[in-house]
Amino acid sequence: MQKFFLNKRLVYILIILIIGFLMTSFSIAVRNNRQTPTFIQQFGNDASGMVDRLVAYPMAGAKNTVGSFGDLLNTYKENRQLKEQVENIAEKDAENQTLRKENQQLKAQLKLSKSLTDYTKVNAYVLTRTPSTWQNQVVINKGSLVGVTKGAAVLSRKGLVGRVAEVNKTNSKVELISTSNDSANRFAVQVTSEDQTVVNGLITDFDTNSGELVMGQVTSKKKIKKGSKVVTSGMGGKTPKGLLIGNVEKVSDDDYGLPSKIYIKPAADLDDLSFVTVIQRNDD
Amino acid sequence: MNLEKISYLFPIGLIISVFLDGSLTQMFAPHFFTNLTSVESRLMLLWLVMAICYGNVERIYLWSIVAGIIYDLYYTGILGVFTLILPLMVYITQEIFKYFTRSFLVVLLIYLIDITVLTLLDYWANSILGFTSEPLTMLIGRTLGPTLAYNLAWFVVLFIPISSFYREEF
Repeated sequence: MQKFFLNKRLVYILIILIIGFLMTSFSIAVRNNRQTPTFIQQFGNDASGMVDRLVAYPMAGAKNTVGSFGDLLNTYKENRQLKEQVENIAEKDAENQTLRKENQQLKAQLKLSKSLTDYTKVNAYVLTRTPSTWQNQVVINKGSLVGVTKGAAVLSRKGLVGRVAEVNKTNSKVELISTSNDSANRFAVQVTSEDQTVVNGLITDFDTNSGELVMGQVTSKKKIKKGSKVVTSGMGGKTPKGLLIGNVEKVSDDDYGLPSKIYIKPAADLDDLSFVTVIQRNDD
Repeated sequence: MNLEKISYLFPIGLIISVFLDGSLTQMFAPHFFTNLTSVESRLMLLWLVMAICYGNVERIYLWSIVAGIIYDLYYTGILGVFTLILPLMVYITQEIFKYFTRSFLVVLLIYLIDITVLTLLDYWANSILGFTSEPLTMLIGRTLGPTLAYNLAWFVVLFIPISSFYREEF
């Protein structure tokens, strides 16, 4: 009798394990292949998102209250610095306006209605962050109802932070650019070298020790100045051209001495996100 | 505390603690994730361990599976990792607890063992699924140490409130 129960228990455990593994492989297949998760997953996510708002908003409120007190102390110093910058901004703004107008006219002459740099924005609030070392992921409070699509680039105020990995009706998961997920979609980027030619590459890795992004698959040996700006190239996929990623920190040879690896300091602070912008490229 | 009250207060507390983990991580992200440290908040495990040691909760396996599914669905999108690990943690805790009488130090040590096992299993699962290629030595220094310290602090703060909640002493 004892042995019978032991066997029965073993069978239960095995069945549970098999169901668990099936669920894992199924959800990974969904994540890699489908535009949106299955209905049940979406429903669960949306319900969780609703409940999470009850927890996340009061917590964010508490954080903002404490934070704004700290901000108050820095305000005077900041104000003096900002005043100097403001004068330049007006000038640049006027210049930008003229250039944009000229650009529009030139595009009209060329009969180019859409280009790689056109995009629409969806502003979103970061609800929560995955409490795990392995998934650099945040959940934002906008989903397919307002037009967020899978694979869209996500920006913070300062620069690119990641890509939408999963879209539900009212919330989405954003995989940060610092992820080490093997199957994550890579960003195609470009940087201008010292003699003004464009060097293309991919963001292939994130160095946790230094907090720098690694740009690999570089096909040119052109000299690149430290501090040059790295932007998305708009080639392949859903990312528009010209989104700022960061500045070049150092350039080193690849392990085999052939193409070089470029280390980039990200412009955005990947660990301090509260508002983000989802970028929808609208030329496709 | 009587069973009827516990039967709805326990799941509510569990679900709140699952969502609190994410909110705390988001709130303290600049301090949690630095070049040298990476802290994982595990309040839901604290709630489960305290319930096993101090409460008399019915269907605790079922609730641990539900919490695991919510965690997987909402935070990672990879189903089946925490869904399997959390019931296992409940089992391990119950087995260890058989040999001890409850006291602050015993529950603390069981909780620390649980966090260690959970962190290692989570790392193992993620390295199989291709989410990380970090070596085990890095995991111990960068994640496990800070995670234990952080969760220990919450344990010390929350031990008296939660244990008296279960013994209905307020």
